[in-house]
Amino acid sequence: MAKTYEEINERIRSRKAVVYTAEEIMEVVKKKGIEKAAEEVDVVTTGTFGAMCSSGAFLNFGHATPPIRMTDILLNDVPVDGGLAAVDTYVGATSLTKDPKGGYGGAHVIEDLIAGKSVHLHASGPGTDCYVRKEIDTYISLDDINEAYLYNPRNCYQNYGIATNTSGRTIYTYMGKLLPRMKNATYSSAGQLSPLLNDPHCDTIGIGTHIFLGGGEGYVSWQGTQFKTTPEEVNGVPVGGARTLALIGDMRQMDAKYVRGLDITGYGISMAVGVGVPIPILNKDILQRCCITDEQIYAELTDYSLPSGRSCMQRYNYAELRTGSIEYEGRKIRTSSLSSYSGARKVAGELKSWVENGEFELVKPIRALPREAKLKSLTEEWM
Amino acid sequence: MTMEKKYKISYNENNVQGSVAYILVKEFDLTPNILKAEIEGDGTGKMVLSVKGEPDVIDRGIQRIQDAGYNVIPLCSHITRDDSKCWDCGACVSLCPTHSLRVDPETFEVNLGIETCIACGACVNACSVHALKLVL
Ligand code: SF4
Ligand code: SF4
Repeated sequence: MAKTYEEINERIRSRKAVVYTAEEIMEVVKKKGIEKAAEEVDVVTTGTFGAMCSSGAFLNFGHATPPIRMTDILLNDVPVDGGLAAVDTYVGATSLTKDPKGGYGGAHVIEDLIAGKSVHLHASGPGTDCYVRKEIDTYISLDDINEAYLYNPRNCYQNYGIATNTSGRTIYTYMGKLLPRMKNATYSSAGQLSPLLNDPHCDTIGIGTHIFLGGGEGYVSWQGTQFKTTPEEVNGVPVGGARTLALIGDMRQMDAKYVRGLDITGYGISMAVGVGVPIPILNKDILQRCCITDEQIYAELTDYSLPSGRSCMQRYNYAELRTGSIEYEGRKIRTSSLSSYSGARKVAGELKSWVENGEFELVKPIRALPREAKLKSLTEEWM
Repeated sequence: MTMEKKYKISYNENNVQGSVAYILVKEFDLTPNILKAEIEGDGTGKMVLSVKGEPDVIDRGIQRIQDAGYNVIPLCSHITRDDSKCWDCGACVSLCPTHSLRVDPETFEVNLGIETCIACGACVNACSVHALKLVL
């Protein structure tokens, strides 16, 4: 028997909703069978906590007296966008201080603001008839500015590759430190806990979906950038990066534990964000897809010492990757996760308790994400 | 009171590595543990050894090893981790030659076992939140 969002929300409000995490649900379905479990379970919560460079925050500083139209803006010496209205800015996660060795960037500014710290603001502008001031130097915190919301154009990559290095020297990549001659390999998905691997065709996740974002509540605002549906599927889920989500949420509700600035050696700044998506169990097909296990989810090993054209060397499932080593052509390669599985578990667990306690209702998407999408590449034009 | 000290010991073809541990056990009743050993094609090599025992006995044992012609350098640096910064990502795990950084199979948290660390430093710049530091 199918359920509706309204029925599930009714049960959430009366604190009767039956909720499991994407890890717990497999046992429940094994015990009760899919039919009975689909009737009883209302929500399955998912989680992921990994690095995602396409993150950032919109801030509005409020006007000073006399006012300024800011064009060059520094927050703790990190340049942030001056291309919006007078006192609006976007802090891009990967923006870096002038001294790149500082290891501090936009993501750290965001983390510091969420942690309640005050941040140094230095801004200048041209000075106009309506905005006469040319410079301001002050400190801001989340308590004394207007809006502050995270807006991440791309989060929650559905799946991702495995990186290794066949060259003779250590390379430093956004997939971490890769030792020479394939001594190690890195991967980044939360696998069986990951939101888009539990709802692989976005049957329930769409624009407007209510989510856990960085410890507070947020929403899916659009498909993420580089959203594509073309990668090959194995066991009903893509073997590489495919769908992504654009997310929005109020920074004031967030917890700095779930929004972390990262300094990735040799690459630059990135941001780790905890994201949890609740999946409404409207019918048994949706529940069936939430039962996916790490053994069933595959990713492709590629050589990051090649500048481009990295083809798949071999496929491995996440259960193999999580053992700490994989085998390639008879040799052992040690593995490292780059996203926190224990963090993903905490996110899914926290979201579960919100729903159980009636503090978090589901929102039916107002529009579906694209059913089909291809990715374009950037071409160089020759005159 | 027993304690543990770590040493980097270089040897050549005239003094095979095995006898170091043998001397420390037989003559001094110490507990040596080879954390890492590398032998080059020409018979020379290096190893990192941890030695457990009474401090003055360790000192005498090490003196005896030096007298036997080995080059011994005490490892006085060690790794520390600021647990309040660590977010259990796991990036450091596959870089550690001695498996001192491990993922707990139950909780998936990343644990640091300082006893086997040889202070090689390989993990330090792999940590995106600067939680790992070599301290001298
Ligand atoms: S310094 Fe780091 S990588 Fe080297 S042995 Fe110690 S824990 Fe392992
Ligand atoms: S790389 Fe750093 S943050 Fe990640 S598990 Fe290791 S110590 Fe913790």
